[in-house]
Amino acid sequence: MFRRGLPLIIAVFFGVVTLLSLLFSIPEISSLILEWASFLAAVALLLGVINLFSVHTQRMAGNRPVGGQNLYSAVLVISMLVVFGLGLTDLLGITENGTGQVFNWVQAPLEAALASLLAFFLLFSGIRLLQRQRTVYSILFLVTAVLILLSNALIFSPLLPQSASLILQQLRDFVQNVIVTSGMRGILLGVALGAITLSIRLLLGLERPYNK
Amino acid sequence: MTVIAPLAIIVIVALAILLWGRRLALREGPALRPLAGYTALRGQVGRAIESASKLHISLGRASLTGSANPTSVAALAVLDRLAAEGCANDSPPITTVGDGTLLPLAENDLRYAAEAAKSPVGIPPGTARFIASRNDPFAYAAGVASVIQQQKMLGNVMVGHYGQELAIVTEAAGRNQIQQIIGSDDPLALAVAAPVTDNLMIGEEMLAAPAYMQGKPDQIASLQIQDILRILLSLTILGLAVYRFVAG
Repeated sequence: MFRRGLPLIIAVFFGVVTLLSLLFSIPEISSLILEWASFLAAVALLLGVINLFSVHTQRMAGNRPVGGQNLYSAVLVISMLVVFGLGLTDLLGITENGTGQVFNWVQAPLEAALASLLAFFLLFSGIRLLQRQRTVYSILFLVTAVLILLSNALIFSPLLPQSASLILQQLRDFVQNVIVTSGMRGILLGVALGAITLSIRLLLGLERPYNK
Repeated sequence: MTVIAPLAIIVIVALAILLWGRRLALREGPALRPLAGYTALRGQVGRAIESASKLHISLGRASLTGSANPTSVAALAVLDRLAAEGCANDSPPITTVGDGTLLPLAENDLRYAAEAAKSPVGIPPGTARFIASRNDPFAYAAGVASVIQQQKMLGNVMVGHYGQELAIVTEAAGRNQIQQIIGSDDPLALAVAAPVTDNLMIGEEMLAAPAYMQGKPDQIASLQIQDILRILLSLTILGLAVYRFVAG
């Protein structure tokens, strides 16, 4: 009873206090609680990093042949250790902005490369959808995707006559501003309503994901 | 006035959920309309065991301390169910998280499910995995994609907060011909997921996960209140649009 009741009381108490302090603009209380939450989140991140490290070191130490999974795990573990080492040397003043350099020269370009692949992934998904099921919606999806991609590319092209470019621009604006925006707003309104009712259930203690 | 209005809405909705939930507890509640995502979830664990493969569930990258935390609560409800079914058959789902705050909860869920099922094998190390922090969506997506590719998976369940980086994971799952069940609150992620699977949980459908997974009277009451609020909101928007049109 105590084991299950105490977390519930703490969660509901802090939830209600945070809500009231935010509503009645008492930053002293809301900032304090949010600072505690941020600290806990930072500790949780540390736990996450330890988990990542342990999963991959165990995989490296496994009896599987070298290559594939083990190699990826080894790269990950070595990268973690190198960045950790750079963080230490930055702290001691031996290197200057070493971790920043790694992020700027390794992680940022890799993430940018992945991001640039998204359009192709989406287009391939559309083609795969058309192979899987030839419905009106799948055709509509692919036609719209191609149309938007082409219009973005061709609008500023000198090869296209100005009148055609204007029509393409109007078509793209209509699809984006009317059809896409209205659909997105519909989804977001639904999400907001769902989030409100779920949050209220959490505040009332009816939903207890923390209480097992 | 600015404080009273939201407070009044919260109190009214809270009271409505409590009262309606109590009423539903006394009599049989309404049946929930079937949603493709939840229908597809049924039997996933069984099929995974039959085919000697694993099930992967990703809880997204919404921090419990952030504004998108309801999505993580919904994702945990899905994990509860899959973990209970999986642990009963000594096959807990591989669980990946994209935020540190979700890891202890995921591990707790899995451990509780294993204890409840009196599983002799328990939870093998590495069943719950932290992939990357929420600030690195592409690193997270690449990590999840590699988890999917490296193990024999039957199904890929992704419920939580994702953005357009979801395309990397769906592409990897699609290439391995893995059945996908995807739920997100982000329209961009949903746009990416729509072409690859019919088993979608769109926005609020995903947030209804606790009701669909556990079906408690309070949760069903909350869904009904949500429906009423949606109708009121739609009528308000429509009314305002008509008023603006008429008023010129």
